[in-house]
Amino acid sequence: MGAAILVENLGKRFHRYHAKKPVTLMEAVLSGLRRIQPMDDFWALRGISFEVAAGEMLGVIGHNGAGKSTLLQVLGKVAYPNEGRIKMRGRVGALLDLGAGFHGDLTGRENVFVAAIVAGLRRSEATRRFDQIVEFAELEGFIDNPVRTYSSGMMMRLAFSVAVHTDPDILLVDEFLSVGDLAFQSKCLNRIEEMKQQGCAIVLVSHDAGQVERLCDRALWLKKGTVAAYGEPTVVVGQYTMEMRSKTQQRTPNRPIQLTAAGTELRVNENRFGSLEAEITDVRLQPQAILESGDALCIAIDYQTHQPLDSAIFSIAISQENGDICLDVNTLAMGHSYIRLQERGTLKLTFDRLDLQAGQYFVDVGIYRQDWSYAYDYHWHVYPLTIESRISSKGLLQPPMRWEVSQGSPVQSLTL
Amino acid sequence: MSFKKPSFLFRQKFPLQKLGYLYDLLRSLVNRDMKIMYKRSTLGIAWTLISPLLQLLVFIFVFQIIIKIDIPQYSSYVFTGLLVWNWFQTSLFQATGIIIASRPLIRQPGFPNAVLPIVVVTTGLIHFVLALPVLFVFLLVDGVSLTPILLVLPLLQIIQFAFTLTLSYFLASLNVTFRDTQHTLGVLLQFLFYLTPIFYEIGNIPDRYWFIYGLNPMVHIVTSYRQILMWGTQPDWLALAIISGVVAILMPLGYNLFKRQSLRFVEEI
Repeated sequence: MGAAILVENLGKRFHRYHAKKPVTLMEAVLSGLRRIQPMDDFWALRGISFEVAAGEMLGVIGHNGAGKSTLLQVLGKVAYPNEGRIKMRGRVGALLDLGAGFHGDLTGRENVFVAAIVAGLRRSEATRRFDQIVEFAELEGFIDNPVRTYSSGMMMRLAFSVAVHTDPDILLVDEFLSVGDLAFQSKCLNRIEEMKQQGCAIVLVSHDAGQVERLCDRALWLKKGTVAAYGEPTVVVGQYTMEMRSKTQQRTPNRPIQLTAAGTELRVNENRFGSLEAEITDVRLQPQAILESGDALCIAIDYQTHQPLDSAIFSIAISQENGDICLDVNTLAMGHSYIRLQERGTLKLTFDRLDLQAGQYFVDVGIYRQDWSYAYDYHWHVYPLTIESRISSKGLLQPPMRWEVSQGSPVQSLTL
Repeated sequence: MSFKKPSFLFRQKFPLQKLGYLYDLLRSLVNRDMKIMYKRSTLGIAWTLISPLLQLLVFIFVFQIIIKIDIPQYSSYVFTGLLVWNWFQTSLFQATGIIIASRPLIRQPGFPNAVLPIVVVTTGLIHFVLALPVLFVFLLVDGVSLTPILLVLPLLQIIQFAFTLTLSYFLASLNVTFRDTQHTLGVLLQFLFYLTPIFYEIGNIPDRYWFIYGLNPMVHIVTSYRQILMWGTQPDWLALAIISGVVAILMPLGYNLFKRQSLRFVEEI
């Protein structure tokens, strides 16, 4: 049997119109219809080929405007390709703008029926699956309330639940994993896994290269509408991340050496990278930069920008002197999808306890553009962190622990 | 590798099943539109009736009390015209904005976009049918005797449905390119309202203007409704046949244009 999705040499062309293209009938009549003709066109996608087998998941990564959404549209037959061939086997479902089709004045129940039928179910099938849908969304108590009383999380849960209960043979997904709390997210992942096992082919479009690496069987990196890489997720994602790093280097302006508050030199393209649209002015480790293993730590980042930036991602990593990473977290992955940068501000990350082995570490701090395309400012191995410990051990971790030695006699406890 | 079940949206082998699905879809979307309409107004379904009744009251006040027009059975005469016109007007007006209002639906893979204007016109038809009992009360009060020619009513409704739908396809398509179509349409419809014999008699149109006046299909449609409902005569079959013929040619064009334009709209943003 062939693939569930087969795409060969796909191309999609868009027209660019005159900037003064009339948008009203009046203007059109007055300007004599001549500006309605497109000026020129450009290829949003060109020469794209890939295939997805039933039960396989393909991750599509790339920057904004690389053609990811266009690809989803063409696959969903919501846009016609201008070149090439697409073969899709079976019913296509989509997780696009979750909940956008819901109507606030209608109850959850009414919306579920409409959404399920719109997604391709017969009325009788929708009735049969109704309870399952509501149960999955965990909204039994609210299903007869108008959807406008729902939180955005509840709405997305319901929309997600409808979409994954319509038995599509092919599922098109646009960044879904920010649905609900962590428990619900893992439930969604399980469901997706289940669908894959039943033979559903999935195409996931994502900004988050890590997500693609974790979940997908294959990855496709789109760059300006063409395939930059296609294959094993680890390989493709690796190439993508490399490119992003070098792009950040190119964007890093020349700056004289600056000193941090602690007196460390910040050298551009050595330990500092980024476009400097936003700058990290100081990083403070509280209560201090020398800790006992298991102590609490708060990392405060002071930043400044020349003009307010709409949204950004903050990332903090703790790494060893040789560059090995012990921990790497960012605001986006922890659910803060929208952080507006004022001219000056501070952002804090608090660890209730830091159970690292004794040693020398660095706190690496970065501010990235909302789509991860490059860094605004990234300080690497600038802020030292020393962990001390009474226990000598090897490895990275030193959580609270104790030995219990039992030799037929009552337990002797050696608490450390 | 096996697929769980045949999917009726893409396998055209089962047209009956597809038809069944389209029926379910139409039903659920019409149902949704009706519910939304009634949840927004406290009067609920009664509003369907109150609105034309108020209009009727205005016309009776103006043309029976202030300016005296001598038309027998005036309330039945005007009410028939109003119901037919309101169906036409509200459908066209709503359908014009339908592509822009239904973006999430159009983005759904496999969604048959062309069903959207059908939903709008069907919703209008349901309101029309719900108001029919009141029309019959007017007819009885005015002493109109109903005749078997009344059975042509569904046929007239089908013709009006198809005519409105065809126009809807074109207007909705135009609205994607020119976003002020809906506003312009409001003015045009008002103009057309006065050019349709709703509150005056068709006999008052001078012969030399008839040539242009008669080009408005609504003139013939409204008159045909009156012929079968009030006067018990044969409708103007020739005019109805011409309208049906033109609709039969234009509808496929409008349908294709609509499908193209709705996709273009999704692409543009």
